[in-house]
Amino acid sequence: MLQKKVCMLGSFSVGKSSLLRRFVENMFDEQYHTSIGVKVDKKVVNVSGKDLALVLWDIYGEDAFQKMRMSYLRGMHGYVLVVDGTRRQTLDDALALNERVVSEIGKVPALLALNKFDLSDQWEIEQARETQLTAAGWTIAHTSAKTGDAVEKAFLHLAQLMLAP
Amino acid sequence: MPAHSIFESFLAGQGYALFEYLGDGDFHLLGEWPDWCAAIWGAQPNRDQLIGLADKSAFLENFLVDAEEFWRAHLPGSVNSGNWIERGVDDKEIPLEASARSIDGKRILLIQNLSETFGQQQKWFQTARNSLLEHEKLLKEIQKKEILLHCIVHDLTQPLSAMNGVFHLLGGENLPGALRKYLKAGEREAQRQELMIRGILEAFSGDLAAQQARETGADEAPDLLACAKQALEEFSPAFRERHIRLVLGPHAAGSRGWRVGGDASRIDRIFGNLLENAMRYAPPGTSVTIGLQDQDGFVFAFVDDEGPGLPPDQRPDQLFALFSKGKSHAGKAGLGLYFCKITVERWGGAIGAETRERGGSRFWFRLPRAAQTAQGNAAAAAPGKSVNKEKPHTNKKAEKSLRILVAEDTELNRDLIIELLKKRGHVAEGVADGRQALAALEKQDFDVVLLDEEMPGITGRQTAAAIRRREAGTGKHQIVIGISGHATQDDENRFREAGMDASLAKPVEVKTLYQAVEAAARNLHPGAADSQRATDHNVVTASGAAPRNTSANSAADALGNSPADSEDVVTHLRRTTGGNDKLIRSLAAAFLADAPKALSRIRRAVAKKNAAELGSAAHLLKGSLAIFGAPNAVAAARNLEALGRTDRLREASQALRALESEFALLQHELRAIHSVSRVKIESRPKAKPGPKRKPAR
Repeated sequence: MLQKKVCMLGSFSVGKSSLLRRFVENMFDEQYHTSIGVKVDKKVVNVSGKDLALVLWDIYGEDAFQKMRMSYLRGMHGYVLVVDGTRRQTLDDALALNERVVSEIGKVPALLALNKFDLSDQWEIEQARETQLTAAGWTIAHTSAKTGDAVEKAFLHLAQLMLAP
Repeated sequence: MPAHSIFESFLAGQGYALFEYLGDGDFHLLGEWPDWCAAIWGAQPNRDQLIGLADKSAFLENFLVDAEEFWRAHLPGSVNSGNWIERGVDDKEIPLEASARSIDGKRILLIQNLSETFGQQQKWFQTARNSLLEHEKLLKEIQKKEILLHCIVHDLTQPLSAMNGVFHLLGGENLPGALRKYLKAGEREAQRQELMIRGILEAFSGDLAAQQARETGADEAPDLLACAKQALEEFSPAFRERHIRLVLGPHAAGSRGWRVGGDASRIDRIFGNLLENAMRYAPPGTSVTIGLQDQDGFVFAFVDDEGPGLPPDQRPDQLFALFSKGKSHAGKAGLGLYFCKITVERWGGAIGAETRERGGSRFWFRLPRAAQTAQGNAAAAAPGKSVNKEKPHTNKKAEKSLRILVAEDTELNRDLIIELLKKRGHVAEGVADGRQALAALEKQDFDVVLLDEEMPGITGRQTAAAIRRREAGTGKHQIVIGISGHATQDDENRFREAGMDASLAKPVEVKTLYQAVEAAARNLHPGAADSQRATDHNVVTASGAAPRNTSANSAADALGNSPADSEDVVTHLRRTTGGNDKLIRSLAAAFLADAPKALSRIRRAVAKKNAAELGSAAHLLKGSLAIFGAPNAVAAARNLEALGRTDRLREASQALRALESEFALLQHELRAIHSVSRVKIESRPKAKPGPKRKPAR
């Protein structure tokens, strides 16, 4: 079966592990559990009638305490850049991280997940900013690991991008 | 048991699994197969069996690339993988870390189970990250409150602007005595409300200006005695109304003087708050005393009253808490004393209150002395400060009628500003928002546009930016003055960035309104309305926004080309003040007190070769000199300003000497004016017609 390595990237507490948990196990925990290592999961999806094994790397969120090792991204076919939509700063941090990734790995399919979309009343990403990002080529998904909204769809979309010739 | 077996058991006991790499992703187990290996990768393989760790773990497969590179390079030490988590057969997560090293030519991989320490490590990270999240949340809350506060303050200043305007218009009417008294009371209460609003801003805005003030040079350090005297002068009428005597107590006139670290305007407010407090509690027929004492490196100031003393059920420090009020609730928002406390403490001082032994209470504060070098200098008022205190001629007509567009969404405020401008002899029109302002500017020309900051649709700043975009490349410059409800340094900076020429703070004072409008317009039309020139400096200083016109058109620069060049200082001052001798003396006194400090600042900047400081100091002094005509002195200051701005310090010493010489001449003339008391100031006939001095440029 065809396998594709997908990495979850972004600041701490944006919901990378939660998105994976929702996608792989269809579960969500209200409590925030910080990740300090790498965890690798696998899920088989069906894209256009073909099975595809996604090898999902949940990489700890980068902050002052932990810097991300670029070696973890080796062989990566695609990535989900996760942002907490209720913390504007995490978008800036994610885009800065993205620049490093692109310069190190080159361009690979990616998706921008604006997570915690269930907390729309605390949303800090302006529509104009999203329009700007879309214009810059980003595919944006408004995800909620809590409700599951757009989670599966986002990973399937990324899978399609990775399979596209 | 053989030694190697003991060692292998020990490693396994410590959570290690030891492998030798054989190539192609295959490993050979060197020690024991720990339980956690079995939990993750199944039963123990045979001794000779190859183990495909790369196939068993995607993470290890990735790390193997780094490890192989390390082994190939025959590097000393080791390379490690960082933490990762594998899931055991019972679904239990097991944290691991791998390291590769070379031992006796063998490629060794060591995998450690971190379960014992991982929990603790995770707890630390969790705590640290939770704290960061809490901190972020707190900052957001503070920001939200600040925004809310600024909205409230904006709303509070709206009616206040209207009230002030109405009072001013009423003041111009011929009112009977009783009504005039009520009017005065209304004006006084409006002023108190304004102080309270400012108090709220001070207390909440986290303004660091006070702290910065402490870091200003010793030469600018305020004189506490001068502040006390000023407070005495300002509050005496109010105390008299309540039949309370306000006196300045005896103070040691020691050679050390009374200069302290801090900012004069804030010390004025501290004295003001303490005196207001005393006024509320002091019974009629008693005295309130302001006093100063020398205290080892500090100056101790106090306000004593003969009232009931401090409330027995309240600790003195509670009086200075936020929203604290006296038991009688005679105070207002409970911000005054809190402001005093945070201000004094920011300057490294202390504040307190106590019940006096002989009855009554003492409110005191203590501030660190400024450096001794400052002690010999003159009074601490900033340039223009004394001038500001002079009663403005707000009932006089302006010499030149200006066409002014007022963009303000609050109808009453708009109408009042228009009415005040019309009373001054200007032609004013109003619009309710920025779009209407832009439309009006397309239809006709205006000398000045006043833009309220917060308007529906496009804001004042956006409107200003649109005006600047329109005139780009045309050589035109529309005078634009912003009106802000907040009047913070940030507001001023934002206004400047948006292209505004000056800013006014709400509630708009009549005097400041006239000054801002007329000074800005004069810069556009040099030579016009000379009689208002004396006030230029106030507006520029007060708003912090220097006119953005070309230097040839700026107020002070225009003086050198003024038709009144040849007149002496007295003639100039008599003309510009409308013959107001009191104002002339006051201007002279202010200059004599303040300008030498500005000159010292220039000298220091030249000595230290600080170009930016030179430009700024010379610019300030130029404004002060312009008040007195003094074209040669203005030209000399302008020259120094240009040298500073263009970083040409080599010529600065010579230019400084020219300025010093012109400065001394002006100083001499102003001393003569200052010494004339209560007699009419006349132009002195020139002793003999000497050779005309050339401008110092």
